[in-house]
Amino acid sequence: MEKSTPLTEALFYILLSVRKPNHGYGIIQEVEKLTEGRVVLGAGTLYGAIQAMTAKGWIRIYSAETDSRKKKEYIITDLGRKVFAEEIKRLAELLHNGQLMWRQMEP
Amino acid sequence: MTKFRLYFDKDKETAFLNEMSRKGYAMTGFCVGFYRFDRCLPGEYIYQIDITEGMFRVSNDYREFMRDMDVEIVCLWGPWVILRKKAAQGAFELYTDVESSIAHYTKIKKTFQLATVMEIICLFLEIWGILRGVAAAWSFAFILGAIAIAFVRQLMRINDILAELKGRTGDTGEQSYSGRKGKISGYLAAGLFLNGVALLIRDTGGELAFWLGFAKGFLHVLAILLCVAGCIFTLWRRS
Repeated sequence: MEKSTPLTEALFYILLSVRKPNHGYGIIQEVEKLTEGRVVLGAGTLYGAIQAMTAKGWIRIYSAETDSRKKKEYIITDLGRKVFAEEIKRLAELLHNGQLMWRQMEP
Repeated sequence: MTKFRLYFDKDKETAFLNEMSRKGYAMTGFCVGFYRFDRCLPGEYIYQIDITEGMFRVSNDYREFMRDMDVEIVCLWGPWVILRKKAAQGAFELYTDVESSIAHYTKIKKTFQLATVMEIICLFLEIWGILRGVAAAWSFAFILGAIAIAFVRQLMRINDILAELKGRTGDTGEQSYSGRKGKISGYLAAGLFLNGVALLIRDTGGELAFWLGFAKGFLHVLAILLCVAGCIFTLWRRS
């Protein structure tokens, strides 16, 4: 597996939002809610991220039926889960060390 | 309504389209500098301009994605895609983080680099035409020269934007803020362009001869003034 971490903030939250089938609009809304409005994904940012992650096999198109009326949904793959788990581990380490040392640094 | 504008800067073009929408004119078509507008409610649409890999086409994925986002593809022009969304359906932005903005402007930079190289090849062909005594080659050489300057100006602007964006990610490997100082004045490009247009005007005789001559002379004077102003501004910014 190629080295994929650290994830950008956008990739991190998009992966989190497709743990269950979700479409473009749904992803934007969920990320906005999770971050209390701090991260609002633009259409181009989301499109680029979805294309890149589909190419890497981290997410895939969920809706099997080719009903053109329905919005396309995406879901995380096993590889995507693995990448995400790695990232959580890395972030946990950062947070752990940060909090530990910071307490000692405080006057 | 039709308006003529020559934009090389996609951010200024976006601002223009949104300003027109605010006034109640929605852009519905484009062809070599001519923008077609239809009436709309003031501020009904938000416009954005994207760049794609292809020329005059976008992938089915892109088309479907934008449709799902309630974004309408208004028109395709070269590598550019003009998009709009009804303001009532929520905010509309394209690139909202540093990483994707860098990718976007890098794509624009590559497009301008390729276009500049092709421009300069055409310019050399025209210069060869001048040497061989083709009359029209002079005017085309001036016009192509003007466009080449406009492209180089855009490349400098995009380099500045990219340097600023990369500074924010901490990747300051290639500091290239030098572009800001060495900027070529846009007046120079305008002057060369008008000179080329003036040279295109032919003496045909007849009733119009006086007015054509007048227009030609006027354009030449204007072109010279613009070129002088352009040279002064360029040198002034350099020092």
